[in-house]
Amino acid sequence: MFRKADTSAAWAFILATLLFFIGGLLTTVVPPMVDKSWAKPFKNADPAKGITGELKPLGSLEQQGRAIYQREGCWYCHTQQVRTILADTKRYGWRGVDAPVSTPDEFVFDSPHMFGTKRTGPDLARVGGKYNEQWHRTHFKNPRELVPGSIMPPYPWIANNPAEFKALLAYMQSLGRAKEWRPANDYEK
Amino acid sequence: MLEQNSRAEASGTGAAVVHVDATAKWFIASSVLYFFIVGIIAIVIAAKFVWPDLMGTTPWLTYGRLRPLHVNGMLFGWLLAADMGLAFYVIPRLCGAPLWSEKLGVATAVLWNVIVLGAVVTLLAGQNQGWEYAELVPWLDALVVVAWLMFGANLLMTIAQRKYDAMYVSIWYVMGTVVWTAFVYLTGNLATLFTTGVNQANLNWMYVHNAVGLIFTPIGLAIAYYFIPRASNTPLFSHKLSMVGFWSLAFVYVWTGAHHMIHGPISQWLQTIAIAFSLMLLIPVWAVVYNLFATMKGQWHQLRENVPLKFLMSGVVFYLLTCFQGPMHSLRTVNAIVSKTDWIPGHAHMAVLGAFSFFAIAGTYHAVPKLWGRALHSQAMANWSYWMLMIGGLGFFVTLWLGGFWQGWQWNNVGIPFIDTVKALQPVWLVRFFSGIFMFAGIVLFAYNVMATVVGSSSEAAA
Repeated sequence: MFRKADTSAAWAFILATLLFFIGGLLTTVVPPMVDKSWAKPFKNADPAKGITGELKPLGSLEQQGRAIYQREGCWYCHTQQVRTILADTKRYGWRGVDAPVSTPDEFVFDSPHMFGTKRTGPDLARVGGKYNEQWHRTHFKNPRELVPGSIMPPYPWIANNPAEFKALLAYMQSLGRAKEWRPANDYEK
Repeated sequence: MLEQNSRAEASGTGAAVVHVDATAKWFIASSVLYFFIVGIIAIVIAAKFVWPDLMGTTPWLTYGRLRPLHVNGMLFGWLLAADMGLAFYVIPRLCGAPLWSEKLGVATAVLWNVIVLGAVVTLLAGQNQGWEYAELVPWLDALVVVAWLMFGANLLMTIAQRKYDAMYVSIWYVMGTVVWTAFVYLTGNLATLFTTGVNQANLNWMYVHNAVGLIFTPIGLAIAYYFIPRASNTPLFSHKLSMVGFWSLAFVYVWTGAHHMIHGPISQWLQTIAIAFSLMLLIPVWAVVYNLFATMKGQWHQLRENVPLKFLMSGVVFYLLTCFQGPMHSLRTVNAIVSKTDWIPGHAHMAVLGAFSFFAIAGTYHAVPKLWGRALHSQAMANWSYWMLMIGGLGFFVTLWLGGFWQGWQWNNVGIPFIDTVKALQPVWLVRFFSGIFMFAGIVLFAYNVMATVVGSSSEAAA
């Protein structure tokens, strides 16, 4: 079979395509058919089964904020996934409560996805409700004012633009909120 | 052995064929120019890690806008364009036939430059689709597909008209690149449009992984397999072993995309499949590296004087190292430390710069004097460009590995506040910046040397 591909270009071309498609189809087309949780939005009303909550599509203001997040490339430095690693759940917890692990059913409406690959800054999967509006405004104007040693770029053109700031804030406060993970419901606004 | 010898030498025996090479010239010259321009952006974003307020209040000069320009500029403006130019040089020679259509080829080169310029404008304007490596807006994606079809058709037609029945390994790799790139690119830039969430991420990472594994790897290896025997005037060690490497690559690479989400919100069984196949990558890698090392047996002394060969063999070593790292990262325990840290850019740069750019630079140094019919402007300068890129590259890779590993350990100690893990990396980023200066110096010397040869200010007699 492979010997034939040595002298026949057509044969080599077809064989290379076939071998590629075996793995290609099995790892991209088949998985969402097997694992239904990828497409089924998170919903749980029964506290006995764990954290309650429901994933809803973003509202239009949050969508606008997400577009800004996408435009400015925030996702190059901030991931959005609490991994199945103990340190992730501890580090991205808040006021003594561990952050719940991210699950596929929390991201069903995300496009483009914002999982990210690099943490130059902290993970933002559960940032929603951790900091209030004033904190975010000051932080976007000059991150080093609140976090000395931070290397995040300043974004004055967002902080000083009420419409853009409001949208981005709304998006950030929505992050990770499908799961109502704060027992005291102590989310900042 | 003789048989292989004749294969490797096939390019030299097609004396009757006149190669016009206009397409190869256009691609190579423009890619070298982008290497230089995008190198400036690389320095700027490395500096921003150390001096975060640098150019900080102009939207289009922020890190978030410049990073995609750096990545896309290097991947598509420099490396893929240089690889395509070298394929236009190599394939007709290995086939003993002229390029099927120079007109189509030059049109492809023009279109490619339109795409790169379009990418610069749209990315700086913040038009970013939000997927890594697939940032370009849909109309540019469509142009890339058109350009790729033009490129592929031209080379496949040339291969169909070849004079020699048996195909040298570089021909398969180029054919593989043509077909795999088409489907990988469509998965990452078209199929993602119709999906959301984890499903979309899975497609995105199939693309991200295979942009390197099934685009830059096969075309880079096609170049290494051609130029190592050419530059050292030594036949390839084993044709059969090169087959093992090619067909195992064709089968195992595509399975591994989900290893970008290990421990993340994606099915555990899919992570396990990705890990298993990531380990299997060691098979094609070892087949290739063994073959290329064995080719050099008894010929290593040539590295002293031969600059293209220095780049090629250093590239093979970096290829081995980066392809050893990859499978190791996919192991759950190692991944829990290195994933999302600065180790990863260290790894990625060793693949794209250390291995594949070194191959492309070597091919360019070898091909440019032949294409323009003049001796290289300066051998000494070429040698300096090697050492600058080597020292800068090693400084870059090694500091980011050490720093990244350290960072990963700190993250896993939840007693350390996140900001302290940022401050701890400052010395690492400073060394990375200075390593970048060395690398950029190497790029400047390379680009100047090539351009001086192209415009004909040779200080030596024509070869």
